[in-house]
Amino acid sequence: MTEPLLSVRDLRTWFYTEAGIARSVDGVSFDVGAGETVGIVGESGCGKSVTALSILRLIQPPGRIEPGSVIEFEGRDIVTLDDHAMRDIRGNRISMIFQEPMSALNPVFTVGDQVAEVARVHGDMSRGDAWKRAVEMLAMTGIPDADVRARQYPHQLSGGMRQRVLIAMALMMKPALVIADEPTTALDVTIQAQILELLVDLQKKIGTSILMITHDLGVIAETTSRVIVMYAGEIVEETSVDELFARPHHPYTEGLIGSMPHIGHDKDRLNVIPGTVPAPTDWPHGCRFRDRCPYSWDLCAREHPPLYEIGSRAHVSRCHLAIEPERRNHPHPPIVVQEGVAAA
Amino acid sequence: MAISLAQPRQSPLGLAVRGILRKPSSRVAVFILGVIILVGLFAPLIAPYDPAAQPDIVALKSLPPSLAHPFGTDPYSRDVLSRVIYGARLSLSIGILATVVSLTFGVAYGAIAGYAGGVIDAVMMRVLDAFLSIPRLLLLLGVLVAWPRLSVPALVVFLGLTGWFGLSRIVRGQVLALKHAEFVTAALALGASRRRILVRHLLPNLVSPIVVAATVGVAHVIVLEAGLSYLGIGVPQPLASWGNIIQDGADQVATLWWMSLFPGLFMVLTVMTLNVLGEALRDAYERR
Repeated sequence: MTEPLLSVRDLRTWFYTEAGIARSVDGVSFDVGAGETVGIVGESGCGKSVTALSILRLIQPPGRIEPGSVIEFEGRDIVTLDDHAMRDIRGNRISMIFQEPMSALNPVFTVGDQVAEVARVHGDMSRGDAWKRAVEMLAMTGIPDADVRARQYPHQLSGGMRQRVLIAMALMMKPALVIADEPTTALDVTIQAQILELLVDLQKKIGTSILMITHDLGVIAETTSRVIVMYAGEIVEETSVDELFARPHHPYTEGLIGSMPHIGHDKDRLNVIPGTVPAPTDWPHGCRFRDRCPYSWDLCAREHPPLYEIGSRAHVSRCHLAIEPERRNHPHPPIVVQEGVAAA
Repeated sequence: MAISLAQPRQSPLGLAVRGILRKPSSRVAVFILGVIILVGLFAPLIAPYDPAAQPDIVALKSLPPSLAHPFGTDPYSRDVLSRVIYGARLSLSIGILATVVSLTFGVAYGAIAGYAGGVIDAVMMRVLDAFLSIPRLLLLLGVLVAWPRLSVPALVVFLGLTGWFGLSRIVRGQVLALKHAEFVTAALALGASRRRILVRHLLPNLVSPIVVAATVGVAHVIVLEAGLSYLGIGVPQPLASWGNIIQDGADQVATLWWMSLFPGLFMVLTVMTLNVLGEALRDAYERR
């Protein structure tokens, strides 16, 4: 890979709440190359959405990006950029597709107005030109009768259509990077595939990079080339998609893949990872996954695991199993800490 | 898809118009209010006499309704019908203009407090609490005692300045609720500035509560103005407002009944229709 488009180094986004400091994102580093699709996967509360919002610097108080964090994009550090330059980047060089297409659209404006507004904010486009461009964009995202639809309000469109509108808004300025935060979660399964296909298709046309944020490994498998698995505010595994599904290393990744339902597997129950993500104000000492892990041993409580290389530099995993692989043969039921009781 | 392409535009304005026209009661209200507004608008063309003229203070004073003077005359021999017609003009204008003043202040104050949040919001809201704790009539009386014989424009300003507290509360609450809405974050993510977000994204979402508040607000001001004029500290003579026509006959209500009946009727009709419209608008917006 040549010079990456986006380079995140030691990103820490902390929230100063009354319950203590929530270290929602706690030392995350990764790269996204030009034209590349990178997935971030993890369950709710793992810090993936906060990572996305940090890249656009949309973290509201009491949250803040800690000094020392670096988000380099097109050669500039987003963390220290002034507000005006930041607004120039948002929607123009980096844009975001939100999860809930109904609430991400303003209910009192027509969808055409909202797509056109992006051009009005960033370009010196006249009202008429912006509108024309908006209709083109809507047509490009596969909305039939785009010129009629453009004059309708969000509640007059179906969920899938609305998501197409959001995609049109995000791609209006042909950004270098699109962050898609759970773009299909709110949609019907049949529509999900269409929307993913559309995204991949448009990405090829425009040549943008995509950071795909999701809890759905199916989405990851369909769209991305490289995957970052997040747990408890940090990256626990990073590798190519093929490698991830073929040889997952981190027990958490293993659990995620194991908990996917399979057609044809005649089982009464899905495999689940026991327990929940610990509170971000109180990450456990040592390995943050150890309370839910079937392999954990004393080292896991003692030492916070670094990112070990697994076979090559392209595959890293934050698990001590890398140095004691034979322990994988002796799983034990995890010591699930009761809810409400702090991990010792 | 269940929604057809032929569906009418669902803009806030279109919604309001259809909401009003849906109910027979509000259709009647629109008609009555329309007539009163037209009467006020074309007062000089409709009024049979000069509302301030005192043609014969002896022979023509305090006449009961007749063909020549359908609403009778007042103790100064002025034609009450003409005064009621001109009163429509003045009372409605005062109501509308004072409400515009209230809206401007209320929306600006509430929006700033809600959007700024934190300490600024807290301070602004405590100041508002202080204003709200004083009854509006008392505030006005205080002002009018200090400056007797106010001109009509000054009266409008004072009526407006005492009428925005409640609205700014509503606006502040709505802005507070909406500023973390996902479409606001989405607009930020697309590069909109804070000012643009407030003006382009938040305020248009407040059109419905503002329109409802304005409709009811106009009715309030009309009643207040009448009250003040009745107390003799509102619209100065010889101008005619519904309130001061009633005041002119107040000390002889029993004998000069026409002097309070006709302006009173107009006032009640106006206030009632405005309230019916306010209700219809509220319904229309809530049904959405």
